[in-house]
Order: sequence, then structure tokens, then C-alpha cells
Amino acid sequence: MRWRTKIIRHGTTALATAGTALLIAPAMAHFQMLYTPEMALSSGQATQLLMLFTHPAHGGPNMAMGTPEAFYLISQRGDAAEPVTTDLQEYLEPIAWHSENGPVDAFEANLPRNLTRSLGDYVFVLEPSPYYEPQEDKYIQQFTKTIMNIAGVPGNWADPVGLPAEILPLDKPYANWTGGVFRGIVIADGEPVPYAELEIEYINHAPDLAERRFATDAEVDYPQDSFGTLSIRANAQGEFTIGLPRAGWWGICALEVGADTEHEGKPLSQDAVLWIQVKDMQ
Amino acid sequence: MKVIGTPIPVLLAGLLALAGPALAHSPICNCYDNGDGTVTCEGGFSDGASAEGVAMRIVDDSDRVLTVGEMDADSTYTFDRPDDEFHVIFDAGMSHIVTIFSGDIE
Repeated sequence: MRWRTKIIRHGTTALATAGTALLIAPAMAHFQMLYTPEMALSSGQATQLLMLFTHPAHGGPNMAMGTPEAFYLISQRGDAAEPVTTDLQEYLEPIAWHSENGPVDAFEANLPRNLTRSLGDYVFVLEPSPYYEPQEDKYIQQFTKTIMNIAGVPGNWADPVGLPAEILPLDKPYANWTGGVFRGIVIADGEPVPYAELEIEYINHAPDLAERRFATDAEVDYPQDSFGTLSIRANAQGEFTIGLPRAGWWGICALEVGADTEHEGKPLSQDAVLWIQVKDMQ
Repeated sequence: MKVIGTPIPVLLAGLLALAGPALAHSPICNCYDNGDGTVTCEGGFSDGASAEGVAMRIVDDSDRVLTVGEMDADSTYTFDRPDDEFHVIFDAGMSHIVTIFSGDIE
């Protein structure tokens, strides 16, 4: 199990005056966000994407991202069509995301409408550069997918991209009802990873793309530390199922499933992240 | 032994169902202005089936047909944008029709 960041978010006063605060500091999982406000659109439009390395269940702390190694889109309109890959690195724009721990380096991409105006699925893929986590003295590299759809014509949402670490969806990541379930398979270089360790977090503080900060108020309160980061295991075939108790964005991360385990002389964890969006029946 | 024949209307209905594009699923069509005097419409179905061959009609406000055509192998149809108001009819048959008005085409 990965050692998780434990940070007292209320400053040194809390440390000095409340010894019990150490005991209730939240366990938080690193998540590479690849966020756009709406994953299931009725028609094509210009698309804004936020790339931020954070702890979404608590709205931070946020970690500085290096320049991604790759950022691209694989789109497909209908079952019979061929997937089309588009390099998006030219759209990467460094930004500063406002955080309690000060501004941190993140990225934004504003894609013109002609890139995302056709019907079908849009699989956005981010291959970040390894992030050095000093508290663990190791590097973390989270291969991240966010899948958007235009107008309900499906395409390649279920197809593997071929990443070193990847979560293969068995349900459409952009079409989930509150109270439903989401299923997937953890794969590494195309092969299932038996009993892969997974962490699941809810984006508990709404991202404000205009102000480049998370909302201060949390959507939910956690009754106990285990609830902020849900930890599960895949089965012997690498398959998993999670419940979806609340509308919003959920991140799923499979830990240390990639083959590369070292980077610049330090341990490397190659993780797979998939984002899904959940909506209430109204 | 007496063979009970299948009524012809039932057979025909079955054949039509097999021949039609994804009749059990929702038709979807979206159009956008290319900025060069043409409009491109894309079609599909909610199960991912191709819209190749689906009839397309461009009709004016008086329901007069201006242009007819069909979706190509890429499930797209491009036409010259009429000067006046119009609407696009994506007609997959069997009530699987989508109508898009020119005011909604950007």
C-alpha cells in the first residue's frame, strides 16, 4: 500500500495546540486531474481542460506538474469508423493554480471547436512527466484518461489506448447515474493486472477554471478517514466494480501497475487514472 | 402434415427491421457551418451504427425540398448553405427522423 500524504492543513498553530489533530489528519491520494466541466455534451463546442496534480477529495494540497511527456486525443465517431489521433501538446498552457500552499504549476488546454465538434467519443490522454514526491522519496507517474462524448454517438470509449498503465472502462465513463455502478479492468501494457490496488476519490471541492482554484466549501463531510480515499482491490482478472453514491466527478487510480519501477535512481510508481462523471436522475 | 405459413406482412416487417439502420436505437444528427458557404451534417445512432445511406433533405420554410442526398460512408453529408431559412431532415425511416433548423447551425 502506498504511503499517503498526511498533512495538517490548518497550520502550525493546530500542530502546536492540538495533538489529536495528528491523529485525524486525512489520508489523501495523489490524483492527476484531467478535467473538463462536462463529459457528455449535446453538441460539439470548444473544450477547456485542466491538468492538475492534486488530492481531489480534500481540494488539495496540490503538487507542481512538470511539462507532460504526451497529451493527445483519440476520437472516433461510431463503431465502424477508424479512430483518429490528434496531438494536443501545442495547446498546453502553463498556469498557476491557487492553493492553500501557494500557487502551483498546472496546465490548461483550450481546444478550438473544430477539434471537438464532431459526434462521438473523445478519449483525452495525458502522460505526465514523473513527479518526485519527497515525502515518499519516489517518483509518481499517472497515465490519465478522460473520455468525453458528443451527442450520444459512441465510439472508442471501451478501447485500450496502449498505455503502460491503464484502466479500461466496461461502462461509459460519461454516462453514469447516481446510485449505479462503474466497472473497469486494470491493465498494464495490455494485460490485466490481478488484484491491482485501486483508490477512488470524489472531487469534493468544485474546480473553478476561471479563478483557477477549488471552491472553499466541501460538497461532503467524511465521517472517518477511510471515506475520503476509498481503497479496493481488483479481482483475479483485474476487474473492479465501484458504487456511485453521488453526482459529480470521481477519480479511479490503480497504483503501481506499470512495468517501469525506477526513474533517475529512485523508485517509480506508474499508476493509471480514469475519470468518470455521475449525474442525478431528475 | 399441415404447414402453417407465416403471414406475408409479418415477413415483410421482419425484413424491414433487418434492413433498417439500427431501428431499435436513437437517430442522432448534428450539423455545423464550415465557414465557406457549406454546411456539414454528421449522423449516427446511439448504438454506434453507421448512418451511411440515410436520406438527407434540405427543406425551406414552405416545406419545399431544396436538396436531396444521403449520408456517405463516413456518415457525413455536405451541402451548400441556402441563402434563406431552411431545415435539415435526417430521415432513417420508420419514424427515425431528426430535424435541425438553420438557426441552430453554427
